[in-house]
Amino acid sequence: MDTVQWGVESTVCQMTSMILSTLVSGIIISSLYITMALGLSVIYGVIKIFNFSHGLLAIFGAYLVWWLLSRTGLGYGWCILISAGIMFGIGIIIYWSMIFPLLKHPNWDLSTLVITLGLGMVIENFSLIAFGPGTKAIPKFIKGSIRWNDYSIISWHDLCTIIIVICMLLLLKYFFMKTKQGQAIRAVAQDMEGARYIGIDIFKVFSYTFAIGVSITGFSGVLLASKLSLTSSMGWDWLVKGFVIVVLAGLGSITGIFYAGIFLGISEAFISFFFGIIWVPSFWFVAFLIILLFRPEGLSSAKL
Amino acid sequence: MAALILLAVIIYPVFFNNSYVTFMLFLFFIWAIVASSWDLILGYAGVNNLGHVAFFVIGGYLSGILAKNLPIAAVWCPLLGGVITTVVVVIFIALPALRLPGIYIALYSLMFHLTIPSLLTQTRKWTGGSKGLREIPPLFENIEMIHYYYIALGLLLLTLFIIHKIIKSRTGQAFVALRDSADFARSLGINEYKEKIKVFAVSAFLASIAGGLYAHFIRSITPTTLGINTFLLTLTMVYLGGLGRFPGVLLGTALIVFADEYFRAMGMLRHLVLGALIIFTVLFFPKGLMQIFDRLDTVIGKMALKKAG
Repeated sequence: MDTVQWGVESTVCQMTSMILSTLVSGIIISSLYITMALGLSVIYGVIKIFNFSHGLLAIFGAYLVWWLLSRTGLGYGWCILISAGIMFGIGIIIYWSMIFPLLKHPNWDLSTLVITLGLGMVIENFSLIAFGPGTKAIPKFIKGSIRWNDYSIISWHDLCTIIIVICMLLLLKYFFMKTKQGQAIRAVAQDMEGARYIGIDIFKVFSYTFAIGVSITGFSGVLLASKLSLTSSMGWDWLVKGFVIVVLAGLGSITGIFYAGIFLGISEAFISFFFGIIWVPSFWFVAFLIILLFRPEGLSSAKL
Repeated sequence: MAALILLAVIIYPVFFNNSYVTFMLFLFFIWAIVASSWDLILGYAGVNNLGHVAFFVIGGYLSGILAKNLPIAAVWCPLLGGVITTVVVVIFIALPALRLPGIYIALYSLMFHLTIPSLLTQTRKWTGGSKGLREIPPLFENIEMIHYYYIALGLLLLTLFIIHKIIKSRTGQAFVALRDSADFARSLGINEYKEKIKVFAVSAFLASIAGGLYAHFIRSITPTTLGINTFLLTLTMVYLGGLGRFPGVLLGTALIVFADEYFRAMGMLRHLVLGALIIFTVLFFPKGLMQIFDRLDTVIGKMALKKAG
């Protein structure tokens, strides 16, 4: 009888630890997805265009960091900052050369879609040519993990990632709520006509919103790449996940991204643990279908 | 002039034996079917369906699987594959799409397209997974390139005829009405749901038959055809020609099919150039190549005015 009791207890223990560790990976994945979807959501929320080059821009941001790390002797943090800055500049260039000219025409929603798709293709192949086809690796921020009783609960790197993401969310919240530029962006997102009346230059706001979105996206690419590896073809997968998250969140809502990211990230962790990674893409598709059938407006209708 | 081109294209293989050109024209016919049926739903009906290339591929796969595993003569398989694809499409794409506004249909159908490779890998037993479906039987015994050429040409002409008829009919006008002003169209009694399902069904049917034909010709089909490159190329064919400007899509297709082949020599640069081409096209020809004809009309009109006054 005693041995049976011990058996049951240790199984329960095992189950709990499995569930807990899945939960932890879920939170880690969630934080990555949240960052990734942020750029997409900010751009859509304000400019109402869907940036199909999103995933590829994320990859490019990561590639920039890889390149800077391997070619120059700069520290990790500096490389990330420089990459974010370059992505910001690239965002401005893309906006003025490709998006702005299209906004004047009546079918801007389709034409911006097609042009960003084309841009994605260009970025993908440019990265392939410039950086080479091999899989790249970006080192983790810190090595090692927090341990408890021989179990590795969470690696320092992942914990770092989560903290960085939380900091970034808080920073963004501050930016949008307190700074003049941030408030201008929110104004345009909430009521374009009204914003115009009070003298806000809509197109300029669009331009730096786009650039900020691109910069965040590039940064998210770095985070994602430091956890997984880096190949140029991953861009399209990230794009797909990005838009499921954005739709679940409610197009244009940042608070929604938080909840959507958590939900989808943790679900993905559980699906991949209990059913196998091979079911993950189908899960995303089914999840998307269900969202569209039952609540296409998403979780939150807040405008930013 | 169109009649002359048509005549040339019809008699060409009988007199010349250049198999390379025949092959290129065959490709052109196939993609023209796909692109023009896509134009029907994207340009005329204004439904942001991005899953069209997936219909082509599913049609190809189904035709191949049917031909390999069932005792049906291969020649009927594309047709059968087409019917099944259409049913699947209507259930999984058209029905959900009925209730969704524009951007959501775009996202959903694109996601459908992007999820299919994973689905293919999981049904490895039937579809050959990432290696693809091999040894698909040809349409009938002793078939040759020239037969495929004429079948494809015939199918293209049939497609163009069908599309032309639809555009001129009340259904076609209903599509355009829904695209331009949905509320007004509804107030006129146009049943939006019925029309949307119709347009999905027709375009999917045409594209999937083309896929079946293609699969039997190449004798194999792989998930790579679903790659983002094929998708973008086909989208550019439609876009370049001008959305909803009917014969324009043929121009667009011709340009892309031949440019793709021409640039093949460039190796890795090829897709970069193609992506840049898309960007260039969207920026400078937002209404498609048919814009050139518009401008010509304007120029001719101005010249005529000058002469008169």
